[in-house]
Order: sequence, then C-alpha cells, then structure tokens
Amino acid sequence: MAISDSWLTTQLAKRKLSITKFAGLLWVLDARGVAYLPALDWLVVSDLHLEKGSYLRSYGNPLPSVDSQATLKRLARIMEDYQPARVISLGDSFHDKHSMARMTAEDRVFLCNLVSQVTQWSWVEGNHDPDLPEGIPGEACEEIHLNKEGAYDVVFRHEPEAGLESSSKTGSRAQIIGHFHPKMRTAISRRRYSGKCFISTNRLFVMPAFGQFTGGLDIEDEVMLALLAKNERNTFMMYDGIIFKT
Amino acid sequence: MKSVPPVFAKWFKKKGWQLRDYQRAMLVEKDKHDCTLLIAPTGAGKTLSGFLPSLVELDGLLSTSNFMGLHTLYISPLKALTQDIHRNLLQPIEEMGLGISAETRTGDTPSHKRQRQRKKPPHILLTTPESLMLMLSYADADKLFGKLKRVIIDETHSLMANKRGDFLSLALARLSMLSPAMQRIGLSATVAFPETLGAWLAGSDSTANIVKVKAGEKPKVDMLHSKARMPFGGFMARYAIDDIYQAIEKAKTTLVFVNTRAQSELLFQMLWEVNKLALPIALYHGSLSKEQRRKTEAMMASGMLRAVVCTSALELGIDWGDVDKVIQVGAPKGVSRLLQRIGRANHRLDEPSEALLVPANRFEALECQAAIAAINKGELDGDAPQSGALDIIPQFILNCLCSQADKPDTLYQQILNATPYQGLDRSDFDKLWQFTLDGGSALNAYERYQRLLENDDGTFSPANRRVIQRHRQNIGTIVESGRLKVKRIRRGNQGKIIGEVEEYFAQQLTPGDTFYFAGEVLKYEAIRDMQLHAKPAKAKEPKIPSYSGGQMPLSTYLADGVRGILADSSKWKALPTQVQEWLTLQEAFSQLPKPGNVLVEQFPFRQAYYTLYYTFDGRKANQTLGMLLTRRMEKMSIKPLSFSVTDYGLSIASVNPITQQQLQRLFQPDILGDELEDWMLQAPMLKRSFRQVAVVSGLTEQRYHASQKTMKQVTFSTDLIYDTLREHDPDHILLKVAREDAERELLDLSRLANLLIRYVDSATLVNLEKVSPMAIPIVLNVRSEQIKGAGAQAIIEQADLYAEAENMLEDVRALLSQTQ
Repeated sequence: MAISDSWLTTQLAKRKLSITKFAGLLWVLDARGVAYLPALDWLVVSDLHLEKGSYLRSYGNPLPSVDSQATLKRLARIMEDYQPARVISLGDSFHDKHSMARMTAEDRVFLCNLVSQVTQWSWVEGNHDPDLPEGIPGEACEEIHLNKEGAYDVVFRHEPEAGLESSSKTGSRAQIIGHFHPKMRTAISRRRYSGKCFISTNRLFVMPAFGQFTGGLDIEDEVMLALLAKNERNTFMMYDGIIFKT
Repeated sequence: MKSVPPVFAKWFKKKGWQLRDYQRAMLVEKDKHDCTLLIAPTGAGKTLSGFLPSLVELDGLLSTSNFMGLHTLYISPLKALTQDIHRNLLQPIEEMGLGISAETRTGDTPSHKRQRQRKKPPHILLTTPESLMLMLSYADADKLFGKLKRVIIDETHSLMANKRGDFLSLALARLSMLSPAMQRIGLSATVAFPETLGAWLAGSDSTANIVKVKAGEKPKVDMLHSKARMPFGGFMARYAIDDIYQAIEKAKTTLVFVNTRAQSELLFQMLWEVNKLALPIALYHGSLSKEQRRKTEAMMASGMLRAVVCTSALELGIDWGDVDKVIQVGAPKGVSRLLQRIGRANHRLDEPSEALLVPANRFEALECQAAIAAINKGELDGDAPQSGALDIIPQFILNCLCSQADKPDTLYQQILNATPYQGLDRSDFDKLWQFTLDGGSALNAYERYQRLLENDDGTFSPANRRVIQRHRQNIGTIVESGRLKVKRIRRGNQGKIIGEVEEYFAQQLTPGDTFYFAGEVLKYEAIRDMQLHAKPAKAKEPKIPSYSGGQMPLSTYLADGVRGILADSSKWKALPTQVQEWLTLQEAFSQLPKPGNVLVEQFPFRQAYYTLYYTFDGRKANQTLGMLLTRRMEKMSIKPLSFSVTDYGLSIASVNPITQQQLQRLFQPDILGDELEDWMLQAPMLKRSFRQVAVVSGLTEQRYHASQKTMKQVTFSTDLIYDTLREHDPDHILLKVAREDAERELLDLSRLANLLIRYVDSATLVNLEKVSPMAIPIVLNVRSEQIKGAGAQAIIEQADLYAEAENMLEDVRALLSQTQ
C-alpha cells in the first residue's frame, strides 16, 4: 500500500476519487477507471481487451495497433500510486485467444513486469478469454469468492451469475462484475455530459471497461436496465479526469 | 437545320420548338472541345443540350452498325434527379423512335439489374458519383468504360469546394485514364466564378470551353410583411403559417423551401393544422424512403399536388412542371442558392419567377432584405476553390486497386489530374499510400495483416476478398452521421420502412416518446436489428428529428449585406415594421453594432453569464474565435462553460462575468499564437474532423448491415483512436489530414486575424440586466460547444453528492492506518 492520508484527501477534493460502500466494503473509485479496496489492499480493473487493435486489423481495419501499450501504461501509472498487494483483472483482459501471439515483445515484457510487481495477480476469465494465454504470469480463475462471516460475502466474476434477474431478493451474494462496459449521460444545469461509469445496486457492482479501445453500453439500454433498475442504482460518472456521483 | 439529322428536326418541329443558338453551337462544335461547361439559368433547356450531341451521335452509329456498349454517362449529384432526367430523356427517344437504350443506376437499383448492366450496359447510363466509384472498382471497369465517348455532369456548380466534388473529380480522372477520348460536359446554374468551375471540370491539364447563356428576366422576390407578431428567435416561422397557407391557396402550385429536414417536418404539420380546404400538400426530403419520394414525385409530375414542403433535396434540377410560386421559409443563407430555388418556379425564360421570402425571426428579415438587394443588383456569391480533401485519397487508391493492380507512381499521376488535387505533395501521397497499405502507423509491430500485397512486377493488389468487400460496402461514405432506418409498425414486427433518422436522435428516445416523421406522429418502441421501430400515434409533445448536416452556412456576401443594413438606418424602410421596431428597441436597450467597433453584450441568463460578440464575420471565424476566447478565459479563471456560434456572432456562457479590462486582454491578436496551438491539439473540433476522416479514409466502418447485430460495447468511438494516436503515434498521417480538414471546414484563420487586428482596443462591453433583443436568436441557438475544464467541473461540483464521499473518507483513513 502506498496511498497516504494526504494523497487521498487531495485527490478526493480534486474529484479524482470518490468513495462508496458496497456489500459491506469501502471502495475507492478512481476517475481513471479502477476501483481500490483499502480493507484488503486490492486493485480491481476490468475489460482490458489487450490487442483489440491488432485483432481488428486482422479483419482489414487499418487501425493503429498501439492500444495495448496505451492500456498497459495507463495501468502502470495507477499501480504506482496504489502499489496494491493484489490486482484483479475482471475478465476480457485479452481480446481473443491469439492476443499474446500478436503482442509486441516490448509490450509483453512490460506486462510481465507489471504482474511481477504485486504479490498476487488474478486473471478472472471472461467471454473473450476463457483460457489464459500461455506464458502469462499470474493465476487464472473462474471467479474469486470473498467471505467474512457477518461482514461481507461477495464474488468477483466477469459476467453476472445466472438467475441474477432476481437479484433484489435477499440471500444471494453480492457480485462485482465487468463485461458490460457501462457508460452514461447526464444533464447538469442544462448542460449535457457523458462518460464511462461505475454502476451498482445493493447486490451488483459493475466496473467500467479500462481498455484503450473499449466502447460503452448505455445504462439506459434495456439489457442494463434489466440488471440495474433505475430506482435501485447508484452511478459514478467519469468525465474529463474527474469522477462524480450523479 | 443542317447540323441536325432529319428525324430530330422533325421532332423539334412537331413539338413547336426551335433549336436555341447555343444548343446548335454545342452540337456543331461537339468534337472541337474535350471539355465544355454550359452555364445557363434554369429553364433554358440545359439538360437536353447536354444529351443532344450524344443522341445525334448514337442515332448515326446505330443506323450504320449495331453499336453496343456504354457511350454516354450522365452523373447527377442527387439520386432523385437521375429518375427525373431519365423520364425526360426517354420521351424524345421514344417519340423519335431511336433505338437508344438509357437506364439509371443508383444505390436503389436492384442487384440483378446491376449485374445485367455490367454485362450488357445501356448506351446511356444515368448515375451518381458514389455508384460511379463503385463501378470503377470492378475488375471489368476498363471494358465497361472503354468505349465511353462522353460524360455529362449535371448541376456542376453544386460540386465545387466540397468533398463530394473532390470525390467525383477523382472518379473523372480515373474515367479519363480508362477512356482517353472521353469528353466532359458540365451543366451548371449561373455562378459567380465560371472560370474556376471550368477548371474544376476540365481536370488539371486541360481547359474548359465555357458557353454562357444569358439570364432571363430577373425574378420577382418579396419579403412577407405579416400582420402576425414576428418572434425574436426560433427557426420555425409558426407565426406566418396563415400567410404561407394563403399564398399557397392563391397560387396554382407552390414549392415551399425550408433549410433543414426538421423544419420541413414541422412546417408540414403546421400547414395541415390550418388546411381547412384540405389542399393536397406533400412533404419531400432526403431522409424519406425511396418509395415515399417516388410517390410524391409522380403526384407532382401529374399535377395532383398544390404544394410540396421540401429541403435542398429538391433545389437541384428536377423539373416539376407548373410550379408558379416558390416560398422560402427561413433565411436564404446565400444569393446563388436562393436563385436556384426560385428558378424552380416557371420554367420559362421570358417570364419572371415569383418568390416570397418568409423570415422565421427578426434577424432573418435582415438577411432576406440583403438577399433581395443582391438579386436586384444582379450579384452572386460563390465558393472559392479549395484543395481536395485528403481522406478521400485512401478510398480512391483502394478503389483503383480493386479494379486492377497498379503502382503508386501511376496512381499519383492520376490523382494529380483531378483539379482539386493538382497540388498534392508526393510526400503526403506516400503517407496516404502507406496508410492504405498497412494502416500507416510508425509503430506497426504486427505486420502479418496488410491490406495491400505487392505482386512480383512491383504492382499492388488488395490482400484478400475481405478487403475488397469491406471497401465496396463503404464506398462514397462522404460521412453523414450514423443512420437508422425507421420502420412504421402495423402489428407485431411487421411494417414498412419509411425513411431514416440519425442514430444520435434515436438514442435520445425512450420507449413511448413520440416524434414527427414523414409527416405524421410516431411513437418510439425499440431499436431492433439497426431499425427504429415506431407506431403511428397521437401527438404528445412530439420531438423533431435532428440532422447534423442540416445547418447551412451563411455566405459571407450576405453577412456583409446584413452588416450594411444595420449600419445604415435609411435602409430600414424596406424592412417589415416589426423588424424596424426591433432595431429601434435594440438601440434603446443596448446599442446597435457599428462599423469599426465590435459590440460585446453581457448579461446573466440561465444560471450563467453570457457574453455576445457581434462580429458579422461568418460562422467559421466565429467558431475559431469561440475556441480561442474560451481557452484564454479558462486561463483567466472566468470558467467558460460552452459557446455557440451563428453567422453574425458568438455567444459564450461562463460561470463568472468578464470586465472591460479582461475583454481587452481577451480580444487581442496574440490569441492566434498562444491559444491556437493549444486548442488545436485537444479541441473537440479536431475529434469531430477525425471522426469523419476515420470513416472516409476507411479506418472505421460506417455502413450497417441488417445481418450485423453488434452489441454496442463492441464498437468504440473514433475519439479513442484519436487520443491513442495523439499520444503514441503523433506523426500519423490521419492526424494531419484531420487537422487540415478542421482548418478548412471549421476555421477561418485569415479572416479572424483581420478581425482581431481591425478591432484591437475597439471592443465595447455593454453590461445588461437581461438578454437584449438582438441577442435572443443567438442565445437560443441550441448547437453549443461544451468546454471541458474548470467551468464544467464547477457545474458538476454543484450537483455532485460529494459530502457522502467526504463522510466515508474517515472510514477509509481508519482502514489505511490499520494496514500500514
């Protein structure tokens, strides 16, 4: 852990951070698109989609393939600030199963260094990366379950568990997921703003997508509304380097 | 009539027509010039003159041989126009019994017909620039166009100084390569600078023979002096609806022109609300489905309609018979454009056309008056030529290579032959070539996938079928925003496609919302398979679809005219009384803009301070000024929030007010140095240009297929690519292209520099308690540009539930001290 009281206070005052409670845990939400759990010293990031650029290039889109580099460098800067004990990459970390074969040697070294900086690095599997590419350090897992009697009972997954439609009923455990790339728009004093966001209800917490070339799904989309009903949800929107609760 | 074969002479006689002098000249001299530009007012028989040489030639060829193949290509900037011209062309062919085949080919042509046209082309083919480019991408393009004798480009004036024109100039360069003997004929309405247009048409290494036909009677143009109260702002002219209806009632057939599709939808609704006599009034704009448009065209041609509310989609060449009145609702925006519209009435040269101008607000009345003055003086405004847009080059390169393998040198030479590109640098071309080849990134680490592959002989070809297919699907996307088809649902999922709206508009709708489309009220249900499903419904505050291409820029010529009227109160007499009163009121409440001084008004409005700069220097200069001033305001902690521009001025909203001293520091020529570069690098403007450039150059796709059901999070905005390139590959060619585009489309630096130098220390700040009469139309302009920075953050802070996070900070601190 590297963050200090004063850093936290200034970042919060500058709206570079926000803090929220979910499932009995405190969450520091960083305007750069990651979440930090001070109780555990974990850093959570989701949907890196590494090598998405080169994947699309292979289908004839003349896209610049520097997205992996951009994504990793942004993540490295954040890790410098937090220096967490554990990093959880919440699935779709690699855009497809050939991602590693396409990644440049430089980026691969960079990624390996990043992973080696922390005590534990967990790759939660996603629909884009059900199998961890070979030669990648860190551990792969389907989900991470976190349970402390009487305090919290949460699971980190890429996609929500089946049967989540009935999420509001008590007894089911809380979930931290990625997958949906939530984004939103809002109007403040007649001015419209839009950006990626964290969104949660009392049982479900959805991370924004972190990857350089990731788009977003509007939280008003019917798919999103089915999971996170309007009257139950909390949203934290990111805009121009700041994060704010809407 | 020696130059004319007997069968033609007979036909003319039967019709009671005479060959006009210039028509004869074009026929006699048809093989003397490689390129002819015919400039004639509407109603002079322009189109027939264009076709006559080919009809005569083909008739000769067919009498001696069994001529097969494409002889003449007719290109129109509008799909609708090809239909209309086709009808008009078949008539003489049939009446004279000529064995000439003439067909159309556009994006609407069914694929079996396209296939057949490729194998067995008609003698005359009528098409659009996009369809032409597609045909040029076929491997057999050389056979298809090998015998081409002549290409006729209709409405040539509409193709100057825009991307569509750039695109066509490249297609023409390609055609000339395939068929070196090909002649070019351009048909144009009267323009301010015929020589520049001739140069555009002829290509870089040739000149055009310009044939000018004298203009007929000057049109009779009046402005509406309504008894109803004319609003200060707004663009819908609701106040004048009874006057417009009465004018329609008095005339036989009326065309009612508006400036945007949204206006056309609304005006149509309003007219039907007052349509006591149930006059047949129809609606026509470019987003309606083909069937809808055809129906209206047919009804109009057969004289069944009394009026059509239409947009610029109708201002080009379509001949709709007995129109005897043109009504322009809203500001005319340009003299040439207005004349073109007025020319739709009375297609006879010897009678003046009649037109009525209906300003939607008081500011527009000034513009209407300036336009009327210009028409009476016989003056025109025109576009200056500009160098071709670079994002079209990769599209063109790939298009050529889809047709046949080639070397970069050869293609470069072809491109130079297109006039807008005659100054294209070889180094820029090489970068664009590299981009086409592999994406052009300096950091392409992974090169297994390339779009082009080099053959053994040093030529290049597309790497695979996929590249070719992808290109063909995207040809001619001269960028409009994403479109969704509108399906009018009857029951279940069944219904008819009735047109298109922009994706942006669709995203604003929630199920149950109602909106105006195709002249009725629809209720939004859902977006399925890239279609917007909606059911007919009762009006419940319906929304109006917006179309981003809709706003027309005011010509600088007219802006000057408006400034002239304001400065000289003796000219006010011609204005409607209400407008005179408005100007007097402005004078009493604030000031009138005076020559030699920039008036700046400041007042509180909608929880912010607004400053209004009356520059009268055109939208582009105002846009740039807005970007630069807000940048400097940000530095001076005035916290700007947004700005919006019109042709007359600039309005900036900020958290804090400005003082006269601050104004002096803001309005200085040095902002062109300090702030410009700053802004250029991160301006949202550049991202917007990049969005277009990305699509046109083929970086990302635009076309949607019914089959392509993409989840939205798979697609990501080009803004992200822009940011990535800026940081990691700043020399990428597309960044340069985007910047040039932005400079051309959005900025008017030289004009702005003049403005700033002229008005150093002579900007007057007037503080007001409320919006001034003259400011109303400008502040009501909804298209404002949001500024990122301290202002936005200040606004957000008001709304942020910050205290909540603040409270939890203690808890986090406690956790930190435990673990540390």
